[in-house]
Amino acid sequence: MTPRFVTGKVLGSLGTLAFVLVVNFFLFRVVTDDPIGKMFRGRNVTPAQLERRRQQFGLDGTKWEQFWSYVSQTVRGNLGDSIASGRPVTTEIRAVLWPTIFLVGTGTLLAMGIGVLFGIYAGWRRGSKFDVGSSTFSMLTYSVPDFWLGMLLLIVFSVKLHWFPVGGFQDSGSTATGLAALLDQAHHMVLPAVTLALAYIGEYAIVTRAALIDTVNEDYLQLARAKGLRDAQVRRRHAVPNALLPVVSLSAINFGFVLSGAIAVESIYSWPGLGRATLRAINGPDFPMLQGLFLLFSASLIVANLVVDLLYAWLDPRVAA
Amino acid sequence: MGALRAARLAVVAGAFAVAGIAPAVAGAQDNATVTLTIGLTQDLASPNVTVGYLVSDFEVWNLQYAALTNKAADDFETIPGLAESWDVSDDGLTVTYHLREGLLWSDGEPLTADDVVYTIERSRDEEWFNHYATVQNLTAEAPDTTTVVLTSSVPDPKLPTMDVYILPKHIYEQYDADAIGDYDAMDGVASGAYSLKEWNAGQGWTMVRNPNYFGPDNGIDQIVFRLFTNVSAEVAALETGEIDAAHNLDASAFEQLTGKDHIVTVAGLQGGFTELGWNGGASGLGDGHPALLDPAVRQAIFHAVDRNVILNRVSAGLGAVGTTISVSADPSWIPDLGDENWAYDPDLSRQLLDDAGFVDADGDGVRDMPDGSRSLTFRIVQKADSAADAAIVEFVSGWLEQIGIATDVSTMDEDTLFEAQASAEYDLFTWGWTPYVDPDIMLSYFTCAQVTTDPDEPGWNDANWCNEEYDALYEQQKVELDEDARREIVAEMLKLFNREAPYLVLTMDPDLQAYRTDRFTGWTQQPAGTGPVLFNNSSPTYDNLRAVGAEPPANTDGPEATTPDGGTAPAAPAPTTPADDDDGFPVVPVVIGVAAVVVLGGLIVALKRRGSSDERE
Repeated sequence: MTPRFVTGKVLGSLGTLAFVLVVNFFLFRVVTDDPIGKMFRGRNVTPAQLERRRQQFGLDGTKWEQFWSYVSQTVRGNLGDSIASGRPVTTEIRAVLWPTIFLVGTGTLLAMGIGVLFGIYAGWRRGSKFDVGSSTFSMLTYSVPDFWLGMLLLIVFSVKLHWFPVGGFQDSGSTATGLAALLDQAHHMVLPAVTLALAYIGEYAIVTRAALIDTVNEDYLQLARAKGLRDAQVRRRHAVPNALLPVVSLSAINFGFVLSGAIAVESIYSWPGLGRATLRAINGPDFPMLQGLFLLFSASLIVANLVVDLLYAWLDPRVAA
Repeated sequence: MGALRAARLAVVAGAFAVAGIAPAVAGAQDNATVTLTIGLTQDLASPNVTVGYLVSDFEVWNLQYAALTNKAADDFETIPGLAESWDVSDDGLTVTYHLREGLLWSDGEPLTADDVVYTIERSRDEEWFNHYATVQNLTAEAPDTTTVVLTSSVPDPKLPTMDVYILPKHIYEQYDADAIGDYDAMDGVASGAYSLKEWNAGQGWTMVRNPNYFGPDNGIDQIVFRLFTNVSAEVAALETGEIDAAHNLDASAFEQLTGKDHIVTVAGLQGGFTELGWNGGASGLGDGHPALLDPAVRQAIFHAVDRNVILNRVSAGLGAVGTTISVSADPSWIPDLGDENWAYDPDLSRQLLDDAGFVDADGDGVRDMPDGSRSLTFRIVQKADSAADAAIVEFVSGWLEQIGIATDVSTMDEDTLFEAQASAEYDLFTWGWTPYVDPDIMLSYFTCAQVTTDPDEPGWNDANWCNEEYDALYEQQKVELDEDARREIVAEMLKLFNREAPYLVLTMDPDLQAYRTDRFTGWTQQPAGTGPVLFNNSSPTYDNLRAVGAEPPANTDGPEATTPDGGTAPAAPAPTTPADDDDGFPVVPVVIGVAAVVVLGGLIVALKRRGSSDERE
């Protein structure tokens, strides 16, 4: 991996980010350029007070004036204040960032771990009962919408069986601390994490299986067998490492989606994360919140892409050559 | 052990660990604390009274901050709050409030006339968002610690009602005009029954009992407001008893809960309504259809709409059929319209149109303007985020077609509709309003002054309707201090509004709520018989609630002590003050996440190393 390759990739990512920064501003103003009127419709406030709110949130000047103040404050790391709450966007986002990272992170890791294993065993013994079973399962869970799956799990395991709470991040008003609080949070995370995992297992299983099938008949595997290696050793040492390249890129891209990828599941389980914050901001529309959230989503995806590119080059030096 | 095997084991172990611990912690809660839990779908915007604006914000403030006067649960009558009595001067311009003796803030500081004067003067000077409209003409003085004298520069029929939240001066004087908007308002200093202890955005908030509250002790140590994004989950939580009451239900959830054991459903009305409005062309802007300026066309449209069908088919029969605009949460302000109500009568509609010359001249099945210049094809807007709106618009379009009027339906979100109204580029639309208790604000929306003349500074008059007689009556009621006389003027205004028909009020829209009866009693509708039990105007339920089986407490002279009588209060369970725990940082997920990352990282590195060692082999 040459410094030139790395620099090129990093600069490309920065360029994309700058593009997103500009698009973000205009994207939400296509819908409306004055959310204040509707937001406070029917409130006991005077027109002068509303005008002051417009000034406060930089909605009063021309679009270009608004744009320049947006760009200049954003590059200084200031995402502005939320129109709805009056609090800084960074504070608002920080409050809901971790629940999403842990929920989607856990769900993605579970899906990846299980899906890759499914794919390896299914691809290695193509046409076996396990292959048929896991492929059917993968296609089924992959094609089922996650919001439907979530509702199903919620009804069965929370409403009917009472095994898990019907939503939320922890018992409301709980005064538990230490381990009890941790267990409580884990308890709340089971259903949403399982929903996410089920929704994505299929993707990993299918990609891994296909990649492994491609490598199964390679000459070097015949050579490995000819050396007298056991079947499991051939698979583990020679087949899987070569088949995992597409899985690595898929995983990294999916991690890019970790922040933005769970709006439906967060809604079903009342999970206090970025997905809910996004829905709420759209309803405003709370421009500064939306700009901040979409910048975060785009940035995480751009970073994930960068990581894929660099990881790929590291795993397969031909790429960077 | 190979990396793959390790990863496999980690995944399986993780899954078992999470599933295994799950049932063990279910329902682990401190039983010494009496907790009321309320489910809802709307988070707070901000607990800061100079910033927040949502119904949920007001519920917090109703609990945390008492006002000089309160409102009766039954009929919104002005009753004592921080002030136990008041005297109104003969000219009605000056009101002298006498505060209760010995008032304390929840932190033990005395609550005096000084706090009241501070709040009113400062909110007027700095034009605080939720205070200013009420206090803009007032000056406040404190001749002594328990007396507040308010003087209004104009006659104000709303006085002596003074329902702005009084804030603790000793907290707020630390924040000047520049800093107050950024203040998080989590000081928890309350004069009302509960103070806000904790708010986790997206999860809900917790309010704890104010030991110094002057009202009745309901024996409830804390109230937890728990957020749901999924109404089905909220229903399930109510059925399983995870929550004691549910707000923001939808019609299907409401039906599902109706008749269940220990559950009471309430379709509470507090004046909110949905209207069919039209572009009255008063601003001279835009491109409203000229036929709508003809009263016969408006009347024909209104007679063609069957509001009973909308109530029963769109609103599942929940709520009521509309009459004229509802200007107050108190239904007694709405006059009886007698036979002036717009009865469903499509034959009359056709007759009205025929008589006014709107006939189908070119034989295309759609009526035309009398001069034949254009057909009666009206644009009608349905709001994008409302399934009910789509259904209403579909019904209305069908009914209009029956009387020979065509419609061109477009979908807009509320912002776009608001802008279309400001520039008067619309014909018909549906939207709604929710009034306050005093009718003045809602009445003001339909004055000529609220007609938008500059789209960059939109007014509230979305009927784009202006009537000099209405305006004159509006100015009269605004300064009429005799309540009966004012009610007569308002009734006249509403009848005029109804005759002129800038709006057809379709339905009165309820707040759909449900509560359990097996843990707490005393759920109180405001207004009596028809209103919601929660998130209503002055939140009287909380003072009246008691745990089932608890002795009724001694009645202090609290504002809403209308239910239980006699008896002595049981010693309130000492509020167990939870230790300041972590700020909700999810350690278990972190541990699981980190473990998984380590395993996966290990996997990749192992693969890479194995790859290179294979090359070396």
